[in-house]
Amino acid sequence: MNAVALLLIIPLIAGFVSLGLRHSKLLHGINLATMLLLNGALAAVMSRVLREGTIQGYHNLILIDALSAFILLIIAVIGLVSSLYTWSYFEHYRTQGDVTPVRMSRYFFLFHLFMFTMVLATVANSLGILWVAIEATTLATTFLINFFKRKTSLEAGWKYLILCSVGIALALFGTVLMYMSSVRAAGGIDATLNLSDLMRVAAQLDPHVVKLAFVFILVGYGTKVGLVPMHAWVPEAYSEAPAPVVAMLAGVLETVAVYAILRCKMVVDAAVSPGYAGNFLVAIGFLSFAVAALFMLVQRDYKRLFAYSSIEHMGIAMVGFGVGGFLGTFGGLFHLLNHALAKSLAFFAAGHLFIRFGTREIASVRGAFKAQPLTAAALLAASLALVGMPPLSMFVSEFSVAAALATQAYGSDTVHIGHFLTITVADEVRNLGLVFFFISIAVIVFGGVMSRVVKMVWGDPPPGIESGETWGLGHLSLVLNIGALLVLGFLMPEPLKRLMNLAVTTLAME
Amino acid sequence: MAIHTDMGSQLVNLCSALLLLTCFAIIAQRRLSACVDLFALQSVFLAVTAALVAFLTGAYHIYIAAGLTVVIKAIVLPRILKAVIERLNVKRELELNINIPSSLLVCGALVILAFYITQPIISLGFLLTQDSLAIALAIVLIGFFIMIARKKAVTQVIGFLVIENGLFLGATAAAYGMPLIVELGVFFDILVAGLIIGVYTHRLQDTFDSVDTSKLTGLKE
Repeated sequence: MNAVALLLIIPLIAGFVSLGLRHSKLLHGINLATMLLLNGALAAVMSRVLREGTIQGYHNLILIDALSAFILLIIAVIGLVSSLYTWSYFEHYRTQGDVTPVRMSRYFFLFHLFMFTMVLATVANSLGILWVAIEATTLATTFLINFFKRKTSLEAGWKYLILCSVGIALALFGTVLMYMSSVRAAGGIDATLNLSDLMRVAAQLDPHVVKLAFVFILVGYGTKVGLVPMHAWVPEAYSEAPAPVVAMLAGVLETVAVYAILRCKMVVDAAVSPGYAGNFLVAIGFLSFAVAALFMLVQRDYKRLFAYSSIEHMGIAMVGFGVGGFLGTFGGLFHLLNHALAKSLAFFAAGHLFIRFGTREIASVRGAFKAQPLTAAALLAASLALVGMPPLSMFVSEFSVAAALATQAYGSDTVHIGHFLTITVADEVRNLGLVFFFISIAVIVFGGVMSRVVKMVWGDPPPGIESGETWGLGHLSLVLNIGALLVLGFLMPEPLKRLMNLAVTTLAME
Repeated sequence: MAIHTDMGSQLVNLCSALLLLTCFAIIAQRRLSACVDLFALQSVFLAVTAALVAFLTGAYHIYIAAGLTVVIKAIVLPRILKAVIERLNVKRELELNINIPSSLLVCGALVILAFYITQPIISLGFLLTQDSLAIALAIVLIGFFIMIARKKAVTQVIGFLVIENGLFLGATAAAYGMPLIVELGVFFDILVAGLIIGVYTHRLQDTFDSVDTSKLTGLKE
């Protein structure tokens, strides 16, 4: 139980301590120490989850099962590599004089609060607390996006704040509806929003209300995930925020928002027929996948390119969760982990490129391999992972999702359009059609990303760009991420495998 | 008891309708400080509704929420917004994306839409607050519409806060309030969001010399 408390307390304390400090080495040191402690606490929590199943307690406020532990793992690991990267990244801007000690201490204050809110969202038992924590992530990150205080980053921060706050207000309405159905089921006296109780009384929840609630929740948290058509803030925020912040937004925050949707999906699955929420996820997943892939074809800015790739990958994960079953759910979960690793790697590399080349234009970056060999290798590895190339682990998860599409049965094989038109499709035709569609989009993504990245990596750098790079802490995080992507492509460590198996069983329990 | 409940139900519906009415008033109002006043008035109505529900049902934790509504939404946030308006020196919204008569028509349509959406579940609601859920959804939709129809950052914030009011009415009406700890968290979030948005509006003014959000066009494909 103490490890759970540590998970929440460590970032909170670190945040307030950072607020009072002005010494940059000390701030970075505290940040790193915090992340290491967080990983230690997580290891303890994970081993307990593996041993005992579900941790529940603190007046029923905390619920950690395998799914939450898996999401916590992503938070802690990406938090650690981002902190390593932050050190060398900010040292550069500090020596340039762009970042004052006061702003740095504010940065770390907000960064730690951001970590705290994400951990809180993941361990909370109540859907209400989950909402409060996710809305708090918006508030903690908006000034991080606007960190460089450029005109454009101010605009990005404002749009992010307004879009996400409003979007997530809809999720609150969904949560209210969920509570309403709980009140009716429990007779009003001991109604709660606690997941553990909702799952227990799920059969008595009113299906109409729960269905309506899920639509609001999907749109609300979907805004935070950046699913099409609620994605407008994603490219703007990702191209303006400092690289380590983007790595956290793309790698972790999206994952936590997906977690929120999954939690609600579990309740809906138990209350309504399992296909209902799944169909929504498949539809919105495919939409995000396809639209983002097309937008990637016209990008001239590499940070925006990777931002659209985030939307695309969240779409893939959604398709996986929507199709469900062991294969689909496993693919979706594994995809979340891989995406977090690959996308943070991509944005780390992009941050280094921006420092060296001073531009976000794809056309102006040439010969990255000669200028920054390690960064270019990381960029290439991240891009290969993001387009789903073997032997990197993203191939495994994307393939699982495609395989799930091909093999799973769906809730219903008829589509009703209005009252007049009903289409019935044979299972095989639909499955193969969907897989064909999926793979075509994957090919478009491959073309869109690789044609651009290859041009950036090879060739001669433009005149005036210095060549060669020295090792720093930032490069350590690049190496760690590449290593993880490679290793996970071949073998999965035993504890992770067991954790994922448990998480998949929690999610796809039919 | 039956008369008591009937009377109570009428009163709750009356208060919800007043909330909806203030939404229309905000839509019809161009002066920013008047919009803020109307929002404060709406929050007072909300607090009264919540207190009524608390009194009629005996769910005493709703009193706390009602008190917080008065303090945060009727006093603190309007003050922050007024200070922002004072400093920005924008008194009126001259250019609108959608003019006022058509805005009012659209809002009327939104109310009908809200009643239509909630029709299937309205009969499940408690006797006391049956129509309030539909009204809550209507307020949420009108809040969205305010954000679309207006350009100034301040009115967009008011739109956001109207949405929050609608949500809170929904929570009170549909489920007699949320668990206390959740409600406290929601209030905290709203307060911090209000503060942050205030800071942002200042920065927008300093950077763009305007709080017209239609000037935010630096980022595009």
